[in-house]
Amino acid sequence: MPEVFIDNERYEFEGDQMALQFILDLGMEVPFFCYHPSMSIPANCRQCMVKAGQYIKDQETGEYELDDDGNRKIRWFPKMQTSCALKLSDGMVIQTQETSEEAERAQKDTLEFLLINHPLDCPICDQAGECPLQIQTYKYGPEGSRFEVKKVHKPKRVQLGPRVTLDAERCINCTRCVRFADEISGSKQLTIVSRGDKNYPMTAPSETFDDPYSLNTVDICPVGALTSTDFRFKARVWEMNQTPSIDITNGKGCNIDLWTRDNEVLRITPRHNSEVNDYWMPDEGRKAFEQFNNNRVSRPSVKLDGDNHSNTSWNNAIETFAEALEAHAPQELLLIGSPHASVEENYAFNKFFNLLGASTAKFIPHLISGYGDDFLITDDQAPNTNGCRLISLEETDSAGIKTAVAEAEVVIILADDLVGREALSADDLSAKYTVSLATNKTLTTRASDLVIPITCVAEHAASYVNVDGRIQRSFPAKETKYTNRRLNLEMSEGRLDRYGTNFDNWVKEEHKIDCLPAWEFLNHLADRLGLEFQYDHSRTIFAELSDQIESLRGVTYERMDDEQGVQLPIEQNEVTQA
Amino acid sequence: MIEDWKSYEPLLIPDIPNLHKIDVYEENDGYSALRTVLNDQEKWSRTDVTNEVKAANIRGRGGAGFNAGLKWSFMPEPDDRPRYLACNGDESEPGTFKDRNIFEFNPHIFIEGALIAAYAMSVDTIYVYIRGEYIDWVHILEQAVEEAYDRGYLGKDILGKGIDIDLHVTYGAGAYICGEETGMLESLEGKRGYPRVKPPFPAQKGLWGNPTTINNIETLANVPLVINNGAEWYQSIGAEGHNGPVLYGISGHVNKPGVYEYPAGMSVEDLIYEVAGGIRGGKKLKALIPGGTSTPVLRADQLEGVSMDSNSLRDAGSMMGTAGMVVMDEDTDMVDLLWRISHFFHHESCGQCTPCREGTGWLEKVLLKIKNGEGEIKDLDLLLDVTTQMEGRTICALADAAAWPVRHTINRFRDEFEARCKKSVHAVA
Amino acid sequence: MAEQELAFTQEELDEIERIKAKFPTDKAATLRVLWVAQNKYGHVKPEVQNLVADTLEVPRSHVHGVASFYTQYYKEEMGKFVLDVCTCLSCQLCGGYEILHHLEDELGIKAGETTDDGLFSIQEVECLGACGYAPMLQVTNGVYANNLTKEKVDKLIENLRNGNLPEFESMVMRQNEKRKKAVS
Repeated sequence: MPEVFIDNERYEFEGDQMALQFILDLGMEVPFFCYHPSMSIPANCRQCMVKAGQYIKDQETGEYELDDDGNRKIRWFPKMQTSCALKLSDGMVIQTQETSEEAERAQKDTLEFLLINHPLDCPICDQAGECPLQIQTYKYGPEGSRFEVKKVHKPKRVQLGPRVTLDAERCINCTRCVRFADEISGSKQLTIVSRGDKNYPMTAPSETFDDPYSLNTVDICPVGALTSTDFRFKARVWEMNQTPSIDITNGKGCNIDLWTRDNEVLRITPRHNSEVNDYWMPDEGRKAFEQFNNNRVSRPSVKLDGDNHSNTSWNNAIETFAEALEAHAPQELLLIGSPHASVEENYAFNKFFNLLGASTAKFIPHLISGYGDDFLITDDQAPNTNGCRLISLEETDSAGIKTAVAEAEVVIILADDLVGREALSADDLSAKYTVSLATNKTLTTRASDLVIPITCVAEHAASYVNVDGRIQRSFPAKETKYTNRRLNLEMSEGRLDRYGTNFDNWVKEEHKIDCLPAWEFLNHLADRLGLEFQYDHSRTIFAELSDQIESLRGVTYERMDDEQGVQLPIEQNEVTQA
Repeated sequence: MIEDWKSYEPLLIPDIPNLHKIDVYEENDGYSALRTVLNDQEKWSRTDVTNEVKAANIRGRGGAGFNAGLKWSFMPEPDDRPRYLACNGDESEPGTFKDRNIFEFNPHIFIEGALIAAYAMSVDTIYVYIRGEYIDWVHILEQAVEEAYDRGYLGKDILGKGIDIDLHVTYGAGAYICGEETGMLESLEGKRGYPRVKPPFPAQKGLWGNPTTINNIETLANVPLVINNGAEWYQSIGAEGHNGPVLYGISGHVNKPGVYEYPAGMSVEDLIYEVAGGIRGGKKLKALIPGGTSTPVLRADQLEGVSMDSNSLRDAGSMMGTAGMVVMDEDTDMVDLLWRISHFFHHESCGQCTPCREGTGWLEKVLLKIKNGEGEIKDLDLLLDVTTQMEGRTICALADAAAWPVRHTINRFRDEFEARCKKSVHAVA
Repeated sequence: MAEQELAFTQEELDEIERIKAKFPTDKAATLRVLWVAQNKYGHVKPEVQNLVADTLEVPRSHVHGVASFYTQYYKEEMGKFVLDVCTCLSCQLCGGYEILHHLEDELGIKAGETTDDGLFSIQEVECLGACGYAPMLQVTNGVYANNLTKEKVDKLIENLRNGNLPEFESMVMRQNEKRKKAVS
């Protein structure tokens, strides 16, 4: 097998490989800015310089030539090489900054150049703390500056599009954003304008950067040139907790991180998963932070006269719910599961009412035909349509559900705004006793007689099956009134959680929602009704499920964590039904 | 060194009125080299043509001085992909104004050379890229191309010999970097002229990803001479290792500036004092830039016995470049000159690579400070440092071209630069 | 200028088709069609860039990036005559700046500006490839005026005011005696 020698260590490699990626894959480091593994290689930042050469082989014998000391002779390339664009070849010798002073010097020189016209406004820059330029300057850059002449001035605070703000002075012209729009999203809305040190990225003057994936450019911008208009100046990155999760705004299930501070989700960024979303996510999914924070159902409520609801105690809610159930025969109950809720919620919900003798929950896929693209936006507006199918809930449509509602006396809806998405009307429900287990206030909760607040994806660990049949799971990112970050081992702790005192950790009670995981609420209801139903954690529910369902055999939370989700052997039936 | 230059008769641009007209060109043996090749394709196989040109060692006249025939031989074997010859008439290196003479006075020798090159490399399409400012010369060349099409030298079934070659003339819109060969390819593809990362080299992946060779206009104009007279004859012209006729562009402080055609290897002194009529106003020679802005400046005392060929100029501490010689008299302010050169490179850097984008501006700004009498001695060393940081660190050679004049001008005229700097505040013990 | 007013004539569209035929992609025609547009409108302001992009069916951002990269495209309206004065290297050595400053004094504007009557713009430009005929200038991306003196500049201005552009000047090699006679 061909071999390369990097910093005096021998490695074998196969096929076409570039030095930088190979080095990164080995867990070593060479600083870089413009390179991105999913895009073309312009080699324009010139940061990833290494010293490279080739061991000399005798053409006839194929043996390495040796010098007088018996060491292999090296023919060094005349110039420093950018490792991103350096294709490995058999017998190649590479020295990074770790072993070559020349490489170290070249990297330092480039950083000095990058910084001369950079505004160095890290104290007010959103990127600070997660800025490759800042980090690599600390690691590899020069101390101080020899630049004593005027910096180039360029446009600042430019609304590049509805969601992205540009500070052209911070830009280092890596062209990642332009390449993203050309090669990944395909909108081709960006270009570099002007020439030389006046260069910066821009749209055509008549256009706005409204690419549905525009915010990915903010993620990949290696400096603070492109920032999220939403998130600008909201928080320093080191004040936030970062929790892995799944995008629930469509059926793709993009892997994401939820960034929280004081139990508010402040931003959502994509998490790499080459099987699902690579490094990207649609802008829409990032908007979901609003539904996690705002307009939440907090505390149970009951309907008074008309549309007025009044908050009530959990005890009263359980009692009210139980009385309603006791007053009706099981066949008078209609259960509506939800593609918007997790596998565990749907399963627990269905099982609970089955124990009471009700028939299997129905669900209505939430599709908008033609809404999706060939990339990460899907017609499916819900994260778990296939999860509902997996546990064999009864799939129906708007007409079917209307008929079922008409025949029922009590309608119990799990986390689905059926009125808002016009699968039902408020009138359909007006003569029924309607109970909603809901995360947010919607037209459906308004039409409900009893509303039970349940946790959203940002507050619980639960799994979702995407349009391609991949099961992936969330972690709790926000505390509720009844959870505690320090006691819940699955919750991430940020720097302030770990090291802050009460005086510099700004956690307030008001951002904690008064809600319970659906299964936990059902535990209480089961107690009241004397049912055999008790789950201490979604993990237990999932364990039970994976025993029961053939295609979930051997699937566990651990596997989902280790393998970034598990592809299920389920039929790839396109989620296209309306 | 060339002794008998006074009897030299120009070959590339001979003294024949109206030679730009195809009738006149044909009357003077024009297109005979092409006929020779196409009429006897057994004797003149594509490989034979390439080998002959390789043996003649036509050194690229665009500045790099690479053997043209050798360059042709890098083209891969023909496959189903189109193949291109891209002719570089961007001519933007300050001090260089020679190729326009070929367009104006002998365009057909270039067209003929390009056709022979295209034949040798199995190229089906030739592009000629000319700088946008030369629009008048674009029109002159276009006329010649039209004539060549009419006479059957271009297009389908050339001279009835079953060869199809098209030639398209196009032009830029003001960007020095489009003279860099891969910057030119990008511009030909209708884009910003960003030079490309190599490898892959243009012969593998050039225009639209297809095999492409790039040659300078003057280089190709030499090709018919080689075919007509043989490589050996060609080798007999000029200096050892640097052969053939050269269009010397002489400008600056001389009495008779202009383009002159003489063999390679002419003595610098002959060119300045005999050919170009000496220094204006009877002044003394101070310095020479031998081959366009990016070639290092030589002091007058470095020019003794130096001839215009790559070996001699390398020994003297410079390069042949485009043979665009810029002559400076004793009153020349080297600080002003160097600042203006740096201004040029700052203005023309495409901005793609960090060291060039940032370095060219830094150089200019510090030189402006020195020019304005606000510099300090340490700034000179800073400038030298910056040139080291730029050189060899970028995709194309513009950073090198910007760095060399700064380094060499400061090193060769350090007194002048120090004299312009503020006095050091630190007393020397 | 409202965008809907902009359009190429059939004749111009035919020319654009001929340009496109030279290249395997329509994008390659970008530079040339920008020229067609600039020759028509006298500039390639954003709305003209859009016309070019839409005509070629290439992204508008692409045309904008190209137009801004090349200095000969006028990104704003210029005077009727744009005087591009070379001050680079040989022109610097031979008095290019004197010519530039003389022009600035005569026209009462600085490089980069346009006279109030909209007749003249002055630009300081990089090497135009006429180093042996320095100092020199180019008129509106067209004809070169060589070997300038202040007197020649004054005369040039006067002629331009009267609508007379200088004629193309053939700079014959000094070696070519016969040819020189043929030209003169």
